[in-house]
Amino acid sequence: MVRYIIGRLLWMVVLLGLVSAVTFVIFYALPSADPAVLRAGRQGTPELIAQIRETLGLDKPIYVQYYLYMKAIVLDFDFGYSFQNSADVREEIVSRLPATISLTLGAVVVWLAVGLPIGMISAIKRRTALDRVTMGGALLAISAPVYWLGLVALYLFSRDIGAFPIFAGANSYRPLTENPAAWFDSLLLSWLVLAAAFAAFYARLLRSNLIDVMSEDYIRTARAKGLRERRVILRHGVRSAITPVVTVLGLDIGLLLGGAILTETVFNIPGIGRLAFDAIQRADLPVIQGTVLFAAFFIIVANIVVDIAYAFLDPRVRYS
Amino acid sequence: MTQRNLTFARRPLFAAYAAAAALALGACGSDSSDNGDSQADGGATSAGFDAAVPAGDQQKGGALKLLSSESFAHLDPGAAYFQLDYMVMFATHRSLYYFKPDDPKTAVPDLAEAAPQIAADNKTVTVKLKKGIKYGTNDTSSPVNGQEVKAADVKYAFERGFKPSVANGYLATYFKSIVGADKAKGGDVAGITTPDDYTIEFKLAEPFGATLAKALVMPITMPVPKSYASKFDAKQPNEYDSDPDKQAFSGPYMIKSSSPGKSLTLVRNPNWDEATDERPAYLDTIEWTLGTDPNVAGRQIMSGTGIVNGDTPAASTIKQFATAAKDRISFTPLGNRFVNINTQKKPFSDLNVRKAFAAALDRKAMQLTRGGTLTGDIATHLLPPTLAGHEEAGGADGTGADYLANPSGDMAVAQSYLKKAGFADGKYDGPAIRMLGDNSSPAKESAAVVRRALESLGMKVNLTSVEHSAFYTKFCNVVDQLKKIDVCANYGWLPDFADPYAMLNANFNGEAIVPVNNSNASLFDNEKVNADMNAAAQITDEAERAKAWGAIDRALVEQVAAVPWFWDKTPNVRSKDVHGVIAQWNAAWDLSYMSLEK
Amino acid sequence: MSEPLLRVQDLRVHFDTEDGVVKAADGLSYELQRGQVLGIVGESGSGKSVSSLTIMGLSRAENARISGSVVFDGRDMLSLAAEQMRAVRGNEIAMIFQDPLSSLHPFYRVGDQLVEAIHAHHDVPRGAALDRALELLEMVGIPEPKRRVRAYPHEFSGGMRQRVMIAMALANEPKLLIADEPTTALDVTVQAQILDLIRRLKDELGMAVIIITHDLGIVAEMADEIAVMYAGRIVERGPTERIFAAPEHPYTWGLLGSIPRLDAPAGSELVPIPGRPPSLIDLPGGCSFHPRCPYVQPRHREQQPLLEPVPGGRGHAVACLLEHETRARLWRSLQRGAVPEQARASVLAEDAPDG
Repeated sequence: MVRYIIGRLLWMVVLLGLVSAVTFVIFYALPSADPAVLRAGRQGTPELIAQIRETLGLDKPIYVQYYLYMKAIVLDFDFGYSFQNSADVREEIVSRLPATISLTLGAVVVWLAVGLPIGMISAIKRRTALDRVTMGGALLAISAPVYWLGLVALYLFSRDIGAFPIFAGANSYRPLTENPAAWFDSLLLSWLVLAAAFAAFYARLLRSNLIDVMSEDYIRTARAKGLRERRVILRHGVRSAITPVVTVLGLDIGLLLGGAILTETVFNIPGIGRLAFDAIQRADLPVIQGTVLFAAFFIIVANIVVDIAYAFLDPRVRYS
Repeated sequence: MTQRNLTFARRPLFAAYAAAAALALGACGSDSSDNGDSQADGGATSAGFDAAVPAGDQQKGGALKLLSSESFAHLDPGAAYFQLDYMVMFATHRSLYYFKPDDPKTAVPDLAEAAPQIAADNKTVTVKLKKGIKYGTNDTSSPVNGQEVKAADVKYAFERGFKPSVANGYLATYFKSIVGADKAKGGDVAGITTPDDYTIEFKLAEPFGATLAKALVMPITMPVPKSYASKFDAKQPNEYDSDPDKQAFSGPYMIKSSSPGKSLTLVRNPNWDEATDERPAYLDTIEWTLGTDPNVAGRQIMSGTGIVNGDTPAASTIKQFATAAKDRISFTPLGNRFVNINTQKKPFSDLNVRKAFAAALDRKAMQLTRGGTLTGDIATHLLPPTLAGHEEAGGADGTGADYLANPSGDMAVAQSYLKKAGFADGKYDGPAIRMLGDNSSPAKESAAVVRRALESLGMKVNLTSVEHSAFYTKFCNVVDQLKKIDVCANYGWLPDFADPYAMLNANFNGEAIVPVNNSNASLFDNEKVNADMNAAAQITDEAERAKAWGAIDRALVEQVAAVPWFWDKTPNVRSKDVHGVIAQWNAAWDLSYMSLEK
Repeated sequence: MSEPLLRVQDLRVHFDTEDGVVKAADGLSYELQRGQVLGIVGESGSGKSVSSLTIMGLSRAENARISGSVVFDGRDMLSLAAEQMRAVRGNEIAMIFQDPLSSLHPFYRVGDQLVEAIHAHHDVPRGAALDRALELLEMVGIPEPKRRVRAYPHEFSGGMRQRVMIAMALANEPKLLIADEPTTALDVTVQAQILDLIRRLKDELGMAVIIITHDLGIVAEMADEIAVMYAGRIVERGPTERIFAAPEHPYTWGLLGSIPRLDAPAGSELVPIPGRPPSLIDLPGGCSFHPRCPYVQPRHREQQPLLEPVPGGRGHAVACLLEHETRARLWRSLQRGAVPEQARASVLAEDAPDG
């Protein structure tokens, strides 16, 4: 198992290198704008543009730029500076990471706490009115675009502009270290909004898996052993049905850690998603590269964790 | 990139949502009468909104909140060139001259003591500084804290603009005529001298003094103490740009803290002496929240207290305010929009064809694509209402050109000009037209109207619709591309300061054509007009200057250098307890004049 | 005669489905004494598992209609509450299934599953339960039980897994063991071992056993009594020797005839029963076997045969509308090597003039 993990980690390094190279190529092959020209402004003379190009290192051939960029990362963990406002990219990303992590993990807790029980109960009470109502509701929650849902949630429930002032409004985020109570309060509504579609999806997923599992032979054996039905459902049924859910969960967390752009935008949570979005619009390559690399890192790590977790969950799977 | 389709420099930072704004207003734009009426109040705002300098009973104190979706690009006065950055710069530093909120035409001395002295040969400009203006810094133990502003600081402010670590974007346009500027790389510029501590003199290689004097309102004139800043200016990236603790502030406010993309806070500058300044500076603190969602922000402003917009409100917000809170939304005119046609290539090299196109364009429909009458007026020539020369060029009624007489277009006139161009039956039958359009809304919709106009002339149109910033940086600002393009559909301009030179020169002077970053997208190069513009740049007398530029505007319309169609208005919204003051020259809030109601 | 351990009388289990009523069990009756082995034989789809599942209380579904009586150890199983039924399952009545790989939970160790079976009915400390688990593994003949108790089901071979299932079933020393196709999924060599094991354990523990199978050969040695099922009904029932020596039902003859035998004459063919078992929704009228019976008479299509004792046979009963003598003659004819058509021709032609 240890060898397996090491192998995967080495492969991760390769993948990250590949991701950064591809991002570089995309940026240069299909540029939306010339960063030097943008920075110079509309009146910028050719001399000014050339000066800026030299300052930003854009006058060098692309492979030299790439080499210098990777060298800075590997030797100093230096991700460069934003083309737009010269902010240190690493600092920017690291300072925004806690917000994204807060948003992601909170939403995970909510959607597991809501989605899994609903999925379980729907599976057990399949085809009853309760089941149909919850699954119909789930379909709605999945279909609702996150941005729209966020707006509606704010217009209904935020203290400053909502019809029913319950939750903190947009722009109210405070870091955990600064004020835990305010941190929690500011994130509640955004957790609910972000978790909505996921909870619905997980409920449906668990429901269908559990329905399949409950018709397996070992469930019949469990009942034949005289086990209480609750134990049969949880220890035998859910235990089997949960493995694909864990897999998907890991991947979803990996994805969200790269930034839940829409939720961050609506609630103005200063996370990585928003940073990436703005950077793409401004053709700010160092920031784009930085966020892409971080996002790729999280996704790859999530994949590794999920694969390892799978081996623990299902003893038939073993990595030699 | 959230820039308004007026290229990516200044002003356009209110952009993206203006776009959406316009579209949504399309429906409600028709509640007022025809555009004819609304054009009359060029600079007016809705009742209850006091753009004039407020009377003395405003309340001192309080904290104002601003909500923007955008972030600041630069906090260094030498580098700042965006509308959003300007709002902060002009509250925290003092330029040689500035505009009062209600008068965007008259430059008033701020750092300067009096109006600039321009030598008769237009080659020397002298400015005397006020005495007793002191810097404030966040770190009170800094050597610069409390230091007096000297002329040498203004000289250094200019010189550092040439350094790579500052890289000012407009020095070349307005200040290249200074002796030594063309070779400057950040070191001493011989043409800027300080005969004494409070006098600064600009010696020019060409007679450009009149226009240079007008450009002394720009942030490059904001003082920066050399001894203090040069160590930052030597490094890349420049901390003077990003770290407020490293800056020296001369204005009524200081930047206390800046968190890029998140927030910015201004507090009073303890070393600012109100006796030296006409600005009242009522507010105690100003808190900027960045990265807000425009839809949410609009509602927060509507129902909250002490909040105003930092950048362009969302379409839904404008609609909401325009219907339910008319007295809390203002529309400030600024800038124009026009369609460029390639004057150096057939068919538009033929003046008659240009006139035909001008007659065929339905400018009312164009106005609708922007969102209707609230968002601006139909243009009849190029200089917008707030600028000198506008009235001289015919005001709202226009120059009298028959091809611009009917705002909805006039096919009969169009056809007559086509006939004059040699197309016998009044329909074009030449090769297809290549048109470039911006694919973001509402530019896309405007381009569609342009296309209809061309097609109504019988032209076949090959439209290439590209992403917003590519429209400029890859096509319509690049001469090599422009040579192959017939029509650039989505152009316009915002002046850097309220002067017709800043409005027309870059777009229509043949000598302003540069290979890259070219703003003369029509490749218009008329010797007489060029000469007139160069001459008009040198006029110091206000009335004469207005007359001369009015005549140039008329000439441009006569030559159809471009087809003007819109004079923009910028919306701004406020909460109910905010006494809002709009700086007309920037079409944005003037923080030094705002206050909160008791 | 002592009370039977299990008495099933006129058990009917009907399921209401969208397509119709599935008559999985349509009037089953049989008895089982303590320590006795009953073999229930039938094709798949004959409903042979249903009565056992019903005894265990595992066929209680929303759409099931159960009638009749099932008395186990003096208690009426059908009227027990769910919780009481649960206390009996895995405790007094245990069941093992066909495919031990899918019947054991793949994620739990074998030892844990055994312990679970014990803890379901006995509140003992884990240590004691584990000891018992080891004991059980030894009892079913699994080598190195201390090591194997920590293994997962997929780490065992097919035969070993079935032994584990048996061990699990016997954890609480049940009075009745139901084995549903216990050897079908196993290799032939392993089959014999498992059957031996079951027989040995039955003797050691004094358990009654019901073996459900489609294979007459399996029950030939083990069962004391055999019940042959067809289309949800028992068509013949009796002591094993009688069933093999003097079977009375044409279906039983078919089953016997389709068993390959080493002592059959060389070159003789297996005689399959033509046709397929009927759907339990759409049973044919009259005798449910009549569409496939080589000896069918016109009145068999209308009249339903009841299970009636065979003259001279102790405990031997059959449900067939043919006369006993006719059946005996047909059987003798088949034993001499005739195929069903020949037998019919010779025997029934003789009867014809008599009507």
